[in-house]
Amino acid sequence: MTLSRLVFRSMRKNVKHYYLYFFALIFSVTLCFSFTTLHHNPTVVEALKESGTASAGFQSATYVLYFIVTFFVLYANHLFMKRRSKEMGLYQLIGMTKGLIVRLIALENIILFILAVAVGMVIGFFSSRLFAMILIKLLKLDLVIDLVFSSEAFIQSVIIFSILLLVILFQMTWMVYRVTLLSLFHASKKADERIKRFNFFQMAFGLIGLFLIVYGYYQSSVLFDMEKSHFKDLFLHMIVILASTIFGTFLFFRYSVSFIMNIFRASKKGHLKIRDVMAVTPIMHRMKGNAKSLTLITVLTGLAVGIMSLSYISYFSSATRAHQYSPYDYILLNDKGISFLDRLHQEGIEFEKDTYRVAEVKFDFQDLIGDFANQNLTFASESSMYVVPLSDFKQVSPDAQLNDGEAIVTSYQNMFSEIMPLEKGGDLSVRFNNEEEKVIIKEIQEEFMLSGTVTMASPLLVVTDTTFENISANQSPESFFNYQVGVNLVDNEDSPKAEEIYNELQEERKLVVNGQEYLPLSYEEEHHSYLSIYGTTIFITAFLGLAFLLTTGSILYFKQMSEAEMEKESYTILRKIGFSTSDLMKGIYAKQAFNFGVPLVIGLLHSYFAVKSGWFLFGTEMFTPLVVTMVLYVIMYAVFAVISTQYYKRIIKASL
Amino acid sequence: MTVLVGRKIKKTYGKKSTAQEVLKGIDIEVSKGEFVGIMGPSGSGKTTLLNVLCSIDHPTEGVVEINGKNLRNMKEKQLANFRREQLGFVFQDYNLLDTLTVKENILLPLSISKLPRAVAESRLKELVKLLGISEILNKYPNEISGGQKQRTSAARALISGPTLVFADEPTGALDSKSATALLTNLENINKQKSVTIMMVTHDSVAASFCSRVLFLKDGSIYTELYRGDKTRQQFFQQILNTQSILGGDGYDA
Repeated sequence: MTLSRLVFRSMRKNVKHYYLYFFALIFSVTLCFSFTTLHHNPTVVEALKESGTASAGFQSATYVLYFIVTFFVLYANHLFMKRRSKEMGLYQLIGMTKGLIVRLIALENIILFILAVAVGMVIGFFSSRLFAMILIKLLKLDLVIDLVFSSEAFIQSVIIFSILLLVILFQMTWMVYRVTLLSLFHASKKADERIKRFNFFQMAFGLIGLFLIVYGYYQSSVLFDMEKSHFKDLFLHMIVILASTIFGTFLFFRYSVSFIMNIFRASKKGHLKIRDVMAVTPIMHRMKGNAKSLTLITVLTGLAVGIMSLSYISYFSSATRAHQYSPYDYILLNDKGISFLDRLHQEGIEFEKDTYRVAEVKFDFQDLIGDFANQNLTFASESSMYVVPLSDFKQVSPDAQLNDGEAIVTSYQNMFSEIMPLEKGGDLSVRFNNEEEKVIIKEIQEEFMLSGTVTMASPLLVVTDTTFENISANQSPESFFNYQVGVNLVDNEDSPKAEEIYNELQEERKLVVNGQEYLPLSYEEEHHSYLSIYGTTIFITAFLGLAFLLTTGSILYFKQMSEAEMEKESYTILRKIGFSTSDLMKGIYAKQAFNFGVPLVIGLLHSYFAVKSGWFLFGTEMFTPLVVTMVLYVIMYAVFAVISTQYYKRIIKASL
Repeated sequence: MTVLVGRKIKKTYGKKSTAQEVLKGIDIEVSKGEFVGIMGPSGSGKTTLLNVLCSIDHPTEGVVEINGKNLRNMKEKQLANFRREQLGFVFQDYNLLDTLTVKENILLPLSISKLPRAVAESRLKELVKLLGISEILNKYPNEISGGQKQRTSAARALISGPTLVFADEPTGALDSKSATALLTNLENINKQKSVTIMMVTHDSVAASFCSRVLFLKDGSIYTELYRGDKTRQQFFQQILNTQSILGGDGYDA
């Protein structure tokens, strides 16, 4: 028999083992190729031109993707080789040299790889259009995507996958040469922990693991807390949190799980239920081999969900952010471009308008944050803030009430309000042109009214009309902003026309002070610019997240597949002595719930605490985006648990 | 009282063109308290017969009844329940679960029954005392000897108080001393608790512990021997003689 015939024959016989590996390969190629094709699609390139960072983002995402895929393929190949260790042992036993075996397997690998790359590229090519459409949808653009074959993407992918093939061949050669004949026959058993008694150290390490995770969570919740003053060495604290949660996760899987299960098992005094036999004992005894991969999966899950949530938070918040920056559809500063209103009238566009009288005061920031003031922080002792009279404020907040000497702080939200919550009831002394007045902060509100172009996201002060008149009569000569008109369209249908007019009047609307230009954007423009930044971001992160998800899911699935095969013998025994398939499946459900559920739950917890510690740096709303991301992730992840359970079911059915 | 009845049992493997008839219409009856041995050369269908009788395998034709229940009419789940509650098994390669201690392994068949823990515990105590494995209850299978493993396996087979125990080459992997010890145990249990045992073996010494030995040849029953009042030595001689007539040599390959 020639080598090539042996190769084909063994491939045909091994189809069952191969298809796991084959699908892993196809899936990786599909992801990579579809991403690079997308990246080179002319329509997409055109759409992304607007935001300068998008292309760079795509480029770096490609590298991350290659990294994930390389890691994944190496892992799959490793597992695949391990499953075939007996076969390789047999070849050696009948007198093949290692060199010949390497050639044999290399040949198989190359055939398989080329096939997978070809199939993956075809799927990737077509799916790239789907992904492009999703991207365009996210950017809220109205474009038609053509399916364009990019030779650049093709060449890039071919090069990358050729390198990957070389790496795999190298890994395979290394695996074949490293092992002895004897160990080949035991390779698939190596990960099993030989049954030992559980000792004190294990218990201690288990507890340390749990403690480290809790410590990391606690630290993350106070990361941006001023009272704990972590600002100085923020980076160091992030490293500490990361290290303690990851290491804690490892210790948890390596020791805590067995420890907890051992307590549970000991309490049964030998009278186990079938579920314990099928789930608890195998999990306990495999924990040594599985701890590393479960940790990895947990961390990757946490990372993926965390990153996706944060970018979704950003995307989700674009409308709110745009609204905070441009609280009205159109804003006119002072009397600049006031003819905009006349033009709207002429065009017969209906609108509502609010007008604000504005003044500027100086104040000490430390007064606002009260006893919270922290010596470590070097805030400029004097900041400035815009003031609006109560009667104008009532346009957005009709119920507002103020007595003499009282004031409301508003437009204070997000990042600032999370890091430095203001306290109401405190005194605030405001200065204007050498005069000083004390007001009591009655309330903290979240309404936005003034254009962010001028206020630069600093809070607003609402005072009684009398106080305001006093302030405005004594304005310092530098203050330039004293009036704002906010315009909202009655009918959104008029928006395109109004946008056009607003744009035409650009020159007139410009407020120039000391060579500094202030030109407010319309809400639409503001919103669009946020969308284009965060739309690309969320697309890229979601794509990477998907890669992470598929990788972790597949790794778990592969692991479960080989576990199922290793435990087949036990299933045969159990079925022989009188346990039905459904009895055994009860245990399998529990086992799958553990293997898939625990890394998922801990990963989600990790991401929850990570997101919670700093979400306000990314957007204005945490809950909905976080929950949506998690739910989607869990649903897709569950698919792997289901197919893995199905695999077990097949094995159990076939075991008798 | 008849515990097990097999009528015209046929078993064919393979498809029509390549069909091979392994059992060619076997009739068998086992009464309560018997210790029946099945002997025969390799390929004579011993293990197939045992598997068919104990419901692990289905006969192509024929009827198997245990305690008057026809196995053919039972569904997978019923069969499993039946095996767990009415039958006990001892296999050549022990078939213990590595991840369970000896005690957990023995109690395994009770793991979905509603038997009170105290009852299970007292049954366990009695059995392990009888089998001499009280000292190793908390050890794992990889820490004990082959003979101990097989006695553990026997204890597991007996824990649910079965009507019938099937043993497939139980001494096959044991040295002669452990084998004799195990067989003595089985014989005692058979006599004291009048548990019916059916054992496949190709070891004439093992067979000499039985009260009756069936000889299988090419899928049919060739002959059967009753021990009656003979001593074990005499019975052993008789078995050897029959074997030499049957296969030409005392040991099958």
